[in-house]
Amino acid sequence: MHELGVAGEILDVVLSEADRHAAKKVTSIRLRVGVLRSIEPENLSFLFEHLARGTAAEGAFLEIVEEPVRIECEGCGVSEARAFKCECPRCHGPNVSVTGGDSLRILTLDIED
Amino acid sequence: MGPGGTVRIEVERAILQSADEAAAAIRALLSERKIFALNLISSPGSGKTTLIEALLARFDGKGGVAVVEGDIETEIDAERIRKHGVQVRQINTHTSCHIQPSRLLSVLREMDLSETRLLLVENVGNLVCPAEVPLGEDARVVLLSVTEGDEKPLKYPLVFKTSDLLVITKTDLLPYVTFDVDRVRRAARAANPAVEIFEVSATTGAGMSDLLDRIEALRAAKK
Ligand SMILES: [Zn+2]
Repeated sequence: MHELGVAGEILDVVLSEADRHAAKKVTSIRLRVGVLRSIEPENLSFLFEHLARGTAAEGAFLEIVEEPVRIECEGCGVSEARAFKCECPRCHGPNVSVTGGDSLRILTLDIED
Repeated sequence: MGPGGTVRIEVERAILQSADEAAAAIRALLSERKIFALNLISSPGSGKTTLIEALLARFDGKGGVAVVEGDIETEIDAERIRKHGVQVRQINTHTSCHIQPSRLLSVLREMDLSETRLLLVENVGNLVCPAEVPLGEDARVVLLSVTEGDEKPLKYPLVFKTSDLLVITKTDLLPYVTFDVDRVRRAARAANPAVEIFEVSATTGAGMSDLLDRIEALRAAKK
Protein backbone atom coordinates (compact mmCIF):
# COMPACT_ATOMS: atom_id res chain seq x y z
CA MET A 1 0.00 0.00 0.00
CA HIS A 2 3.02 2.20 -0.46
CA GLU A 3 1.27 3.75 -3.51
CA LEU A 4 -1.60 5.04 -1.36
CA GLY A 5 0.57 7.65 0.36
CA VAL A 6 2.11 8.67 -2.96
CA ALA A 7 -1.35 8.98 -4.58
CA GLY A 8 -2.44 11.23 -1.69
CA GLU A 9 0.65 13.43 -2.11
CA ILE A 10 0.01 13.74 -5.86
CA LEU A 11 -3.60 14.71 -5.27
CA ASP A 12 -2.57 17.40 -2.75
CA VAL A 13 -0.16 19.00 -5.22
CA VAL A 14 -2.56 18.67 -8.15
CA LEU A 15 -5.47 20.26 -6.29
CA SER A 16 -3.39 23.16 -5.03
CA GLU A 17 -2.08 23.80 -8.56
CA ALA A 18 -5.61 23.51 -9.98
CA ASP A 19 -6.78 26.02 -7.41
CA ARG A 20 -3.94 28.41 -8.21
CA HIS A 21 -4.91 28.33 -11.90
CA ALA A 22 -8.65 28.53 -11.14
CA ALA A 23 -9.19 25.28 -13.04
CA LYS A 24 -12.60 23.62 -12.93
CA LYS A 25 -11.25 20.29 -13.95
CA VAL A 26 -7.94 18.48 -14.28
CA THR A 27 -8.04 16.11 -17.24
CA SER A 28 -4.53 14.71 -17.34
CA ILE A 29 -1.49 14.53 -15.07
CA ARG A 30 1.99 13.70 -16.33
CA LEU A 31 4.39 12.20 -13.79
CA ARG A 32 8.02 11.20 -13.92
CA VAL A 33 8.61 8.14 -11.77
CA GLY A 34 12.01 6.54 -11.26
CA VAL A 35 12.24 2.76 -11.46
CA LEU A 36 13.81 2.70 -7.96
CA ARG A 37 10.63 4.12 -6.40
CA SER A 38 8.96 0.69 -6.14
CA ILE A 39 5.76 2.06 -7.66
CA GLU A 40 3.33 -0.13 -9.55
CA PRO A 41 1.74 2.24 -12.13
CA GLU A 42 -1.59 0.39 -12.25
CA ASN A 43 -1.89 0.36 -8.50
CA LEU A 44 -1.04 4.07 -8.34
CA SER A 45 -3.64 4.95 -11.00
CA PHE A 46 -6.30 2.89 -9.26
CA LEU A 47 -5.66 4.49 -5.88
CA PHE A 48 -5.45 7.98 -7.34
CA GLU A 49 -8.78 7.53 -9.12
CA HIS A 50 -10.32 6.44 -5.85
CA LEU A 51 -8.94 9.39 -3.84
CA ALA A 52 -9.77 11.96 -6.54
CA ARG A 53 -13.49 11.21 -6.57
CA GLY A 54 -15.54 14.32 -5.89
CA THR A 55 -12.56 16.66 -6.49
CA ALA A 56 -11.46 18.72 -9.48
CA ALA A 57 -9.16 15.83 -10.42
CA GLU A 58 -11.93 13.25 -10.65
CA GLY A 59 -11.42 11.11 -13.74
CA ALA A 60 -8.02 12.65 -14.55
CA PHE A 61 -5.70 10.43 -16.55
CA LEU A 62 -2.35 9.64 -14.94
CA GLU A 63 0.37 9.45 -17.53
CA ILE A 64 3.47 7.89 -15.99
CA VAL A 65 6.80 8.49 -17.67
CA GLU A 66 9.26 5.94 -16.35
CA GLU A 67 12.77 7.13 -15.50
CA PRO A 68 15.38 4.39 -15.96
CA VAL A 69 18.60 4.03 -14.01
CA ARG A 70 21.88 4.97 -15.72
CA ILE A 71 24.56 2.35 -15.37
CA GLU A 72 28.01 3.73 -15.98
CA CYS A 73 30.58 1.05 -16.73
CA GLU A 74 34.33 1.66 -16.58
CA GLY A 75 34.73 -0.30 -19.82
CA CYS A 76 31.78 0.56 -22.01
CA GLY A 77 30.19 3.79 -20.87
CA VAL A 78 26.56 4.41 -20.05
CA SER A 79 23.60 2.07 -20.42
CA GLU A 80 20.05 2.44 -19.18
CA ALA A 81 18.02 -0.19 -17.36
CA ARG A 82 14.52 -0.60 -15.98
CA ALA A 83 15.79 -2.12 -12.73
CA PHE A 84 18.79 -1.66 -10.48
CA LYS A 85 21.76 -3.80 -11.47
CA CYS A 86 25.22 -3.97 -10.00
CA GLU A 87 26.90 -5.17 -13.13
CA CYS A 88 27.15 -3.77 -16.63
CA PRO A 89 24.30 -5.03 -18.85
CA ARG A 90 26.73 -5.21 -21.81
CA CYS A 91 30.01 -6.68 -20.55
CA HIS A 92 28.77 -7.91 -17.13
CA GLY A 93 31.71 -6.13 -15.54
CA PRO A 94 31.30 -5.33 -11.83
CA ASN A 95 32.87 -1.86 -11.92
CA VAL A 96 29.76 0.24 -12.37
CA SER A 97 28.08 3.19 -10.76
CA VAL A 98 24.33 3.48 -10.91
CA THR A 99 22.60 6.86 -10.93
CA GLY A 100 19.12 8.25 -11.54
CA GLY A 101 15.93 6.28 -11.31
CA ASP A 102 14.76 8.04 -8.17
CA SER A 103 12.58 10.85 -9.54
CA LEU A 104 9.06 11.34 -8.28
CA ARG A 105 7.82 14.50 -9.97
CA ILE A 106 4.72 16.03 -11.44
CA LEU A 107 5.66 17.39 -14.86
CA THR A 108 2.49 18.89 -16.32
CA LEU A 109 -1.25 19.13 -15.75
CA ASP A 110 -3.92 19.51 -18.41
CA ILE A 111 -6.70 21.65 -17.02
CA GLU A 112 -10.03 23.06 -18.16
CA ASP A 113 -11.06 26.44 -16.91
CA MET B 1 -7.76 30.08 -25.10
CA GLY B 2 -11.54 30.40 -25.01
CA PRO B 3 -13.81 29.38 -22.16
CA GLY B 4 -13.96 25.66 -21.53
CA GLY B 5 -10.67 25.05 -23.39
CA THR B 6 -7.91 22.79 -22.18
CA VAL B 7 -4.53 24.16 -21.27
CA ARG B 8 -1.34 22.42 -20.25
CA ILE B 9 0.51 23.87 -17.27
CA GLU B 10 4.09 23.12 -16.35
CA VAL B 11 4.36 22.08 -12.72
CA GLU B 12 7.81 20.47 -12.37
CA ARG B 13 7.42 19.78 -8.68
CA ALA B 14 8.75 16.97 -6.57
CA ILE B 15 5.87 15.08 -5.04
CA LEU B 16 7.40 14.72 -1.60
CA GLN B 17 8.09 18.44 -1.27
CA SER B 18 6.00 18.86 1.89
CA ALA B 19 8.05 16.10 3.53
CA ASP B 20 11.24 17.84 2.42
CA GLU B 21 10.11 21.05 4.07
CA ALA B 22 9.41 19.30 7.39
CA ALA B 23 12.77 17.53 7.17
CA ALA B 24 14.50 20.88 6.66
CA ALA B 25 12.79 22.21 9.79
CA ILE B 26 14.06 19.18 11.76
CA ARG B 27 17.56 19.74 10.40
CA ALA B 28 17.46 23.35 11.55
CA LEU B 29 16.24 22.39 15.03
CA LEU B 30 18.98 19.76 15.40
CA SER B 31 21.68 22.00 14.07
CA GLU B 32 20.76 24.88 16.39
CA ARG B 33 21.10 22.52 19.39
CA LYS B 34 24.14 20.68 17.99
CA ILE B 35 22.35 17.36 18.20
CA PHE B 36 23.61 14.58 15.94
CA ALA B 37 20.77 12.40 14.63
CA LEU B 38 20.76 8.91 13.16
CA ASN B 39 17.83 7.49 11.19
CA LEU B 40 17.89 3.69 11.52
CA ILE B 41 16.18 1.74 8.75
CA SER B 42 15.81 -2.00 8.17
CA SER B 43 13.34 -4.83 7.75
CA PRO B 44 11.72 -6.01 10.98
CA GLY B 45 14.08 -8.03 13.14
CA SER B 46 17.40 -6.88 11.68
CA GLY B 47 18.74 -5.51 14.94
CA LYS B 48 17.86 -1.80 15.10
CA THR B 49 16.84 -1.91 18.75
CA THR B 50 19.93 -3.97 19.62
CA LEU B 51 22.15 -1.37 17.94
CA ILE B 52 20.39 1.37 19.88
CA GLU B 53 21.11 -0.49 23.14
CA ALA B 54 24.79 -0.80 22.20
CA LEU B 55 24.90 2.95 21.45
CA LEU B 56 23.26 3.73 24.79
CA ALA B 57 25.98 1.72 26.55
CA ARG B 58 28.71 3.48 24.54
CA PHE B 59 27.38 7.01 25.10
CA ASP B 60 26.51 6.47 28.75
CA GLY B 61 27.97 9.40 30.67
CA LYS B 62 29.02 11.29 27.51
CA GLY B 63 26.03 13.56 27.20
CA GLY B 64 22.40 12.82 26.72
CA VAL B 65 20.95 10.38 24.24
CA ALA B 66 17.29 10.61 23.23
CA VAL B 67 15.43 7.95 21.30
CA VAL B 68 12.34 8.14 19.08
CA GLU B 69 10.81 4.76 18.31
CA GLY B 70 8.63 4.33 15.25
CA ASP B 71 6.26 1.41 15.09
CA ILE B 72 2.98 0.78 13.32
CA GLU B 73 1.02 -0.09 16.48
CA THR B 74 3.05 -1.32 19.48
CA GLU B 75 5.21 0.19 22.23
CA ILE B 76 7.35 -2.93 22.67
CA ASP B 77 10.63 -1.39 21.49
CA ALA B 78 10.05 1.85 23.41
CA GLU B 79 9.49 -0.15 26.63
CA ARG B 80 12.73 -2.02 26.00
CA ILE B 81 14.67 1.24 25.59
CA ARG B 82 12.92 3.00 28.48
CA LYS B 83 14.48 0.46 30.85
CA HIS B 84 17.85 2.06 30.10
CA GLY B 85 16.68 5.29 31.72
CA VAL B 86 16.92 7.51 28.64
CA GLN B 87 14.34 9.83 27.16
CA VAL B 88 12.17 7.82 24.75
CA ARG B 89 9.20 8.84 22.67
CA GLN B 90 7.01 6.48 20.69
CA ILE B 91 5.48 7.35 17.33
CA ASN B 92 2.76 4.93 16.25
CA THR B 93 2.30 5.41 12.54
CA HIS B 94 -0.86 3.27 12.19
CA THR B 95 -1.62 3.18 8.46
CA SER B 96 1.70 4.74 7.43
CA CYS B 97 4.69 2.47 6.84
CA HIS B 98 7.31 5.10 7.74
CA ILE B 99 7.79 7.99 10.15
CA GLN B 100 6.47 11.23 8.66
CA PRO B 101 8.89 14.11 9.19
CA SER B 102 6.02 16.40 10.24
CA ARG B 103 5.20 13.93 13.02
CA LEU B 104 8.82 13.67 14.14
CA LEU B 105 9.10 17.46 14.13
CA SER B 106 6.15 17.87 16.49
CA VAL B 107 7.48 15.14 18.80
CA LEU B 108 10.92 16.80 18.92
CA ARG B 109 9.30 20.14 19.75
CA GLU B 110 7.60 18.52 22.76
CA MET B 111 10.79 16.85 24.06
CA ASP B 112 13.32 18.37 26.42
CA LEU B 113 16.44 18.27 24.27
CA SER B 114 18.52 20.68 26.33
CA GLU B 115 20.97 17.94 27.39
CA THR B 116 20.69 15.83 24.24
CA ARG B 117 23.78 15.30 22.09
CA LEU B 118 22.69 12.22 20.15
CA LEU B 119 19.23 11.49 18.77
CA LEU B 120 18.44 7.97 17.60
CA VAL B 121 15.36 7.48 15.44
CA GLU B 122 14.26 3.90 14.90
CA ASN B 123 12.14 3.93 11.78
CA VAL B 124 9.32 1.49 11.07
CA GLY B 125 10.61 -1.96 10.00
CA ASN B 126 10.43 -1.63 6.22
CA LEU B 127 13.03 -1.11 3.48
CA VAL B 128 10.80 0.69 0.98
CA CYS B 129 8.92 3.66 2.40
CA PRO B 130 11.39 4.97 5.02
CA ALA B 131 13.97 5.20 2.23
CA GLU B 132 11.86 7.79 0.43
CA VAL B 133 11.28 10.10 3.33
CA PRO B 134 14.07 12.26 4.78
CA LEU B 135 13.88 13.00 8.50
CA GLY B 136 16.53 15.72 8.59
CA GLU B 137 19.03 13.19 9.96
CA ASP B 138 22.80 13.67 9.90
CA ALA B 139 23.37 10.06 8.91
CA ARG B 140 21.12 7.34 7.65
CA VAL B 141 21.95 3.80 8.71
CA VAL B 142 20.53 0.76 6.93
CA LEU B 143 20.83 -2.59 8.68
CA LEU B 144 20.72 -5.89 6.84
CA SER B 145 20.87 -9.18 8.72
CA VAL B 146 22.52 -12.16 7.05
CA THR B 147 19.33 -14.19 7.57
CA GLU B 148 17.46 -11.92 5.12
CA GLY B 149 19.38 -13.01 2.04
CA ASP B 150 21.93 -11.18 -0.08
CA GLU B 151 19.48 -9.97 -2.74
CA LYS B 152 18.05 -7.12 -0.69
CA PRO B 153 20.30 -4.41 -2.20
CA LEU B 154 19.18 -5.50 -5.66
CA LYS B 155 15.52 -5.57 -4.69
CA TYR B 156 15.45 -2.38 -2.59
CA PRO B 157 18.30 -0.26 -3.99
CA LEU B 158 16.89 3.11 -2.95
CA VAL B 159 17.55 2.59 0.75
CA PHE B 160 21.13 1.51 0.03
CA LYS B 161 21.60 4.45 -2.32
CA THR B 162 20.43 6.95 0.30
CA SER B 163 22.19 5.50 3.36
CA ASP B 164 25.53 6.67 4.72
CA LEU B 165 26.25 3.51 6.70
CA LEU B 166 25.36 -0.09 5.87
CA VAL B 167 25.52 -2.44 8.84
CA ILE B 168 25.47 -6.15 8.05
CA THR B 169 24.21 -7.77 11.26
CA LYS B 170 24.13 -11.27 12.79
CA THR B 171 27.40 -12.23 11.07
CA ASP B 172 27.85 -15.04 13.63
CA LEU B 173 25.15 -16.86 11.61
CA LEU B 174 27.09 -16.73 8.31
CA PRO B 175 28.14 -20.42 8.49
CA TYR B 176 24.47 -21.46 8.61
CA VAL B 177 22.92 -19.30 5.88
CA THR B 178 23.40 -18.56 2.18
CA PHE B 179 24.62 -14.99 2.21
CA ASP B 180 27.40 -13.62 0.04
CA VAL B 181 28.83 -10.61 1.88
CA ASP B 182 30.85 -9.53 -1.17
CA ARG B 183 27.75 -9.56 -3.34
CA VAL B 184 26.01 -7.22 -0.90
CA ARG B 185 29.07 -4.97 -0.68
CA ARG B 186 29.27 -4.77 -4.50
CA ALA B 187 25.59 -3.95 -4.93
CA ALA B 188 25.58 -1.36 -2.15
CA ARG B 189 28.70 0.32 -3.57
CA ALA B 190 27.20 0.40 -7.08
CA ALA B 191 24.18 2.23 -5.66
CA ASN B 192 26.27 4.46 -3.43
CA PRO B 193 30.08 4.53 -3.79
CA ALA B 194 30.40 6.51 -0.55
CA VAL B 195 28.51 4.08 1.70
CA GLU B 196 30.52 2.89 4.72
CA ILE B 197 30.04 -0.80 5.35
CA PHE B 198 30.32 -2.57 8.72
CA GLU B 199 29.93 -6.26 9.55
CA VAL B 200 28.81 -6.91 13.10
CA SER B 201 27.51 -9.54 15.45
CA ALA B 202 25.77 -8.32 18.58
CA THR B 203 26.02 -11.88 19.95
CA THR B 204 29.81 -12.25 19.75
CA GLY B 205 30.54 -8.51 19.74
CA ALA B 206 32.56 -8.84 16.51
CA GLY B 207 32.80 -5.56 14.62
CA MET B 208 30.68 -3.67 17.13
CA SER B 209 33.40 -1.45 18.51
CA ASP B 210 34.47 -0.30 15.01
CA LEU B 211 30.89 0.68 14.26
CA LEU B 212 30.40 2.45 17.60
CA ASP B 213 33.76 4.25 17.20
CA ARG B 214 32.68 5.50 13.79
CA ILE B 215 29.34 6.78 15.05
CA GLU B 216 31.07 8.45 17.99
CA ALA B 217 33.50 10.13 15.58
CA LEU B 218 30.66 11.33 13.35
CA ARG B 219 28.87 12.68 16.40
CA ALA B 220 32.02 14.48 17.57
CA ALA B 221 32.55 16.01 14.12
CA LYS B 222 29.16 17.79 14.23
CA LYS B 223 29.87 21.37 15.13
ZN1 LIG C 1 30.52 -2.76 -19.45
